[in-house]
Amino acid sequence: MTEREYDVVIIGSGAGGGTVAKELAPLAKSGARIAVLEWGPRFREEEFTGREIEMAARLYHEGGGVLTKDGAMTLAFGKAYGGSTVVYTGTSLVVRPDTVARWGVKGLDHADLARRSAKYMAENNVHLIPEEDQNENNRLFRDACRRLSWRVEQFPVNVKGCRGSGLCNLGCPNAAKQGTHRVQLPQAESAGVEVITNCKVERIEDRAVLARVAPCRFGFPSAWEPGEHRVKARFVVVCGGAVNTCALLLRSNLPARLPVLGKWLTTHPALILVAEHPRPITNFHGHPKSYYCDHFTESRRFLLETCMYFPFMTAKSMCGFGAPHEAMMRRFDRLQMILSLAIDPAREHNAVGINAAGEPVVDYTLADDVLNSLLESMRAAARIFFEAGAVRVHAPATERFAIERADRERIDDLVVRKWLRPGRVSISAAHLMGGARMGAGPDDSVTNEWGEVHGLPWLFVGDSALFPRCAEINPYLTIMALADRVAERVTRRLSAPGGR
Amino acid sequence: MNERLFLAVAGRIVPGVGSLDAAGRQAFLALVREFMESKPPALRRQIDLFLSLIRWLPLARHLRPFEALSPERQDAVLLGFQESRLLLLRRGFWGLKALAFMGYYGRPVAAAAVGWRPEREGNRRLHP
Ligand SMILES: Cc1cc2nc3c(=O)[nH]c(=O)nc-3n(C[C@H](O)[C@H](O)[C@H](O)COP(=O)(O)OP(=O)(O)OC[C@H]3O[C@@H](n4cnc5c(N)ncnc54)[C@H](O)[C@@H]3O)c2cc1C
Ligand code: SF4
Repeated sequence: MTEREYDVVIIGSGAGGGTVAKELAPLAKSGARIAVLEWGPRFREEEFTGREIEMAARLYHEGGGVLTKDGAMTLAFGKAYGGSTVVYTGTSLVVRPDTVARWGVKGLDHADLARRSAKYMAENNVHLIPEEDQNENNRLFRDACRRLSWRVEQFPVNVKGCRGSGLCNLGCPNAAKQGTHRVQLPQAESAGVEVITNCKVERIEDRAVLARVAPCRFGFPSAWEPGEHRVKARFVVVCGGAVNTCALLLRSNLPARLPVLGKWLTTHPALILVAEHPRPITNFHGHPKSYYCDHFTESRRFLLETCMYFPFMTAKSMCGFGAPHEAMMRRFDRLQMILSLAIDPAREHNAVGINAAGEPVVDYTLADDVLNSLLESMRAAARIFFEAGAVRVHAPATERFAIERADRERIDDLVVRKWLRPGRVSISAAHLMGGARMGAGPDDSVTNEWGEVHGLPWLFVGDSALFPRCAEINPYLTIMALADRVAERVTRRLSAPGGR
Repeated sequence: MNERLFLAVAGRIVPGVGSLDAAGRQAFLALVREFMESKPPALRRQIDLFLSLIRWLPLARHLRPFEALSPERQDAVLLGFQESRLLLLRRGFWGLKALAFMGYYGRPVAAAAVGWRPEREGNRRLHP
């Protein structure tokens, strides 16, 4: 086993880890030793092939299909230099004031998060895609929402030189999406922060981590040789993403009382909804995600967003099988898609645990209120599809495969709770939040409002695990804002006399 | 995995599986095999077990295994799993369906055949 020593070790390089690395870069410049240990590889540009199965297998943990304990939902999160920011769509929203108020974390206010979010919006080139680069899949959604008098907004996105390949969730082949792999990590590295890829942290010990480097069939080789490494550090910042951060902390048996570690996980459970138009529409060319409808956020607790997925992902998202399913798939160039997300309440029993091998097990129950939100979201999406001119709509919570246009007045009779059964309907989640929530003390949280783990002043969490409740919007920008706070606290501690 | 049985089930899930030529069938099975090999033995066993269940469950009612049933009866058996009151059976069928879709639509040639042909310069298609 190789022994190494650093001032700060950051575990994970996604939205949280990449941000912390960049914010600590000035310290690296003035001589502090800082390392980012990332489980996934760093991809070469030519490796972003856009082939669905190949890229999903390489870029995501378990190909993007991590199952919850009861098998009723799949979870998607990235595994790469840049974490999930390599596969996210780059929609960039600032958390709302009422959401932060609902979190109720003393010392954490909206103005602070908004200020920090604005910094990353500028850094990540966040802007609105011009009308001429929006495809029909997006514009049909916007226009239908407006005709229905439902609030619809354009997503600001973080792209630079986007050429509309539509492949964001398989890794951008045009180097346009401004994830941490494009912006924050390269900046950190140029200041002297070391990023070690293909390096999984197995365990955290007292001011040290045990990591294993394994060779990978693709990407650049790791900076460290394969094998075990024990890395001492004055500060450790865990940014492995909500699921893996919790699993790592749990299997480390830390010497602190952390009774809610892993608990209060939220996920924004989501449905991919599909409808068919009578003619081809532009759908997979162009940036996939330009609009969202938050008209029902308060009343029904769901969000609707434009989206466009790939053939396998689309096929498995639809309920049913056989000829009608295949017929709809064959009309791929006529498909319009909407992603609906439930704004799920935080519940203590929704939790990340670990199995005997120390690997994560996500125990998440799709509660009635969440399923009701999804049901309402399906009905709303069906109305949008028909308003946009669709001839048939696949709403999974129906008895038949599709609702025909002639039946569009009967949506509420056809889309019913009886058919919205977990396991029957494909439910997935990509916004994993919580498990190491911020708060006042160990009885209801894992860290304080600066991400410092209760009782362990050398250990911080700096990622999506920090959310006390869900973000109620697409979360990456808020994760960066939270990670920015964590980096500020680590900087202050490291710069204090004696560095404590 | 009993690949013949899986092909029979997959052929009802995606009818196109039944009309694949030898090369297409090999490409389909190659993706399925690769997936299976990447999974822990416990999950592979579960998938095998579920396939066996699909095969033998019809015996009680129709006195024949799944492969020997008419296509309509095969569909009815699969629908029974999809609509089951037991989450275990619903999710098992969902997993099998996903495997069939992956093998079929995961082949680049099938993805292109349904009309998904992304281009690096996709925006050019928006303003010809
Ligand atoms: C397909 C998809 C689309 C999305 N689109 C959007 C969007 O448009 N807008 C938005 O706001 N959000 C989006 N999100 C969500 C957003 O990407 C995530 O919420 C965010 O990236 C989470 O940040 P994180 O730092 O917590 O974790 P991640 O970004 O997931 O990074 C965690 C990293 O840590 C590594 N890691 C884990 N465990 C270890 C370990 N033990 N040792 C070493 N390394 C480890 C992982 O491999 C990973 O690379 C999307 C997510 C997905 C999956
Ligand atoms: S649509 Fe734009 S940002 Fe997305 S993958 Fe293509 S070029 Fe990259």
